[in-house]
Amino acid sequence: MNTAIDTRDLSKRYRRVSALTNCTVTVPEGRVSALIGPNGAGKTTLLRLLAGLASPTGGTASVLGGAPRQDPAFLADIGFLAQEIPLYRRFTAADHIQIGAHMNPRWDASFVRTRLTELRIPLDQPVGTLSGGQRAQVALALTLAKRPRLLLLDEPVAALDPLARRNFLATLTSAVADAEGGLTVVLSSHLVTDLERVCDHVILLTGSQVQLSGDIDTLLAEHKVLVGPRKDTAPIERAHTVVQTVTTARQSTLLVRLGGPVADPAYQAEDVNFEELVLAYMGADEAAASRHLTTVGEGS
Amino acid sequence: MTWVVWRQYRTQGAIAAVLLAALAAAVLVDGFQIASHWHSILVACAGNKACLQQQPTLVNGVVSDLPYLCLIVPVVLGMLWGAPLVAHELESRTSDFAWSQSVTRTHWLAVKTGWLLLAAAACGGLVSALTTWWSGPVNAMTGGAFAPGQFDTQGVVPVGYAVFAMALGIAAGAVARRSLPAIAVVLGGFIGVRLLISGLLRPHYMAAVTTYYHLTTGSFTPPGQAWVFSQGAVSSTGVVVASGWGDLYPALQPVCQRLIGSAPASGKSGSMSAVFSCMQAHGWRGFATYQPAYRYWPFQGIETGIYLLLAAALVAVTFAIVRRRDAL
Repeated sequence: MNTAIDTRDLSKRYRRVSALTNCTVTVPEGRVSALIGPNGAGKTTLLRLLAGLASPTGGTASVLGGAPRQDPAFLADIGFLAQEIPLYRRFTAADHIQIGAHMNPRWDASFVRTRLTELRIPLDQPVGTLSGGQRAQVALALTLAKRPRLLLLDEPVAALDPLARRNFLATLTSAVADAEGGLTVVLSSHLVTDLERVCDHVILLTGSQVQLSGDIDTLLAEHKVLVGPRKDTAPIERAHTVVQTVTTARQSTLLVRLGGPVADPAYQAEDVNFEELVLAYMGADEAAASRHLTTVGEGS
Repeated sequence: MTWVVWRQYRTQGAIAAVLLAALAAAVLVDGFQIASHWHSILVACAGNKACLQQQPTLVNGVVSDLPYLCLIVPVVLGMLWGAPLVAHELESRTSDFAWSQSVTRTHWLAVKTGWLLLAAAACGGLVSALTTWWSGPVNAMTGGAFAPGQFDTQGVVPVGYAVFAMALGIAAGAVARRSLPAIAVVLGGFIGVRLLISGLLRPHYMAAVTTYYHLTTGSFTPPGQAWVFSQGAVSSTGVVVASGWGDLYPALQPVCQRLIGSAPASGKSGSMSAVFSCMQAHGWRGFATYQPAYRYWPFQGIETGIYLLLAAALVAVTFAIVRRRDAL
């Protein structure tokens, strides 16, 4: 399977602030990847680097087989939608459709019109007068009309109400299905349950570093919650990678990445769900985070 | 891309076109009146120069401020169209939209900048053409082609100013990333550069010509509408006295001083001719340092060239910034 995104030690510093540090991730073609992390973790920076809107200060990125660059063919393959939903507020959706037609080699104007008509979003009204949800839909439809091979979406649903969010994600899902494996998506969001519905791949960033990345099903299979009596966890730590430890007076609950079968019969192994996994990694303290850095990699 | 520029600027372009058309109409009406008035003066004076100079001013009313408008147009274009070109896209984040389409930033900037510079040149040229035509009779009557109010508002230099102001606005917007500071830079920068170049550089585009003449044969006037820097008398030892003659007395040889002493303070021409004869006999010569009238168009060309070069440098800076800078 081809890789859509392949970064090696990708880093970005803005003057003295490190926005992204040694980011190494791989996203295979056709996947929908959830980019998760707290505010300021470097999600936007990573997306902008991949889109070619920023240039790295270290490392390399390969996007659809080449470095992000100012080249019409590369730009045509990338659909980027920034967090602020940038549109010309005084222009109508129809204006944007025409602008897109003049700035892109393959432009599916009828797709945008059809989609916006389905959503009952007026084409002839300045987009500044539309609701946030409608604007996001217009922007997403315009981004999809480019017929990109890689879609980079930076928290597009952050400002939307639940219904608008569902509509937005439905548009996204159907676009992925229509592309039949030809569209890779990286979608950043705080809303883990939303992401779980549409994504099959995850990249988790905290403090400008990658904590976890890979196929979601594989990662869920590799991680277990071990529940057992409160005792010395050193044997467990030797055999597995402990992501998170919660101890009460009588018992310990450990979220671990399995290094093999669980040997100690005192522990009961339970499956983890996506949200638990994400929260465990996001909650892991800085010291633990740096220990796990070495184990991070493509799961499949 | 051209269509995109058209879509983005068509409203402003239409407003500008309407304003320019209104201006042109006003100028044409007024210009023909001035021309016919001028014609009747010419007939009445029948070639008498003194008669011409006694005529009241040709120009009055609102349209008389036309040359000032010619000075303002370029800076307004630079502020309203140039400064926001890059800055407003960055401010409103629409750069993320524009730069995510399948057009490179270089291409995007080249098309936008190209059309706006062309529009600036066209506006500058049109206003200048109107002003030049309208000023014909005034030029003929006042005869100071190099005077700031005339040289700067007529011919081709307004085109250079307009292109420069537009480029300054675009570059300032790209550097500042915000429209308002960029607009301030255009205003301050344009006025500053204009003052600097017209005050310090313009007199030296070409080496000035100095003509010496006999004081006794009467005064010398450089032919045509020359730009006279200084005129007066110079002694054989190099003492220079300007033509107001205020400092003449102490500079003179005692023989000649006595001639002035005997003449009334008013300095009637009859008595001054004796002084001039005395000065001539003692090696004084009359001189005039000036830029000859035939250099009007070379000067226009040089000044326009300077502004176009400045504009080119500013455009180059803009390209370097937009290509290299991360689109934050």
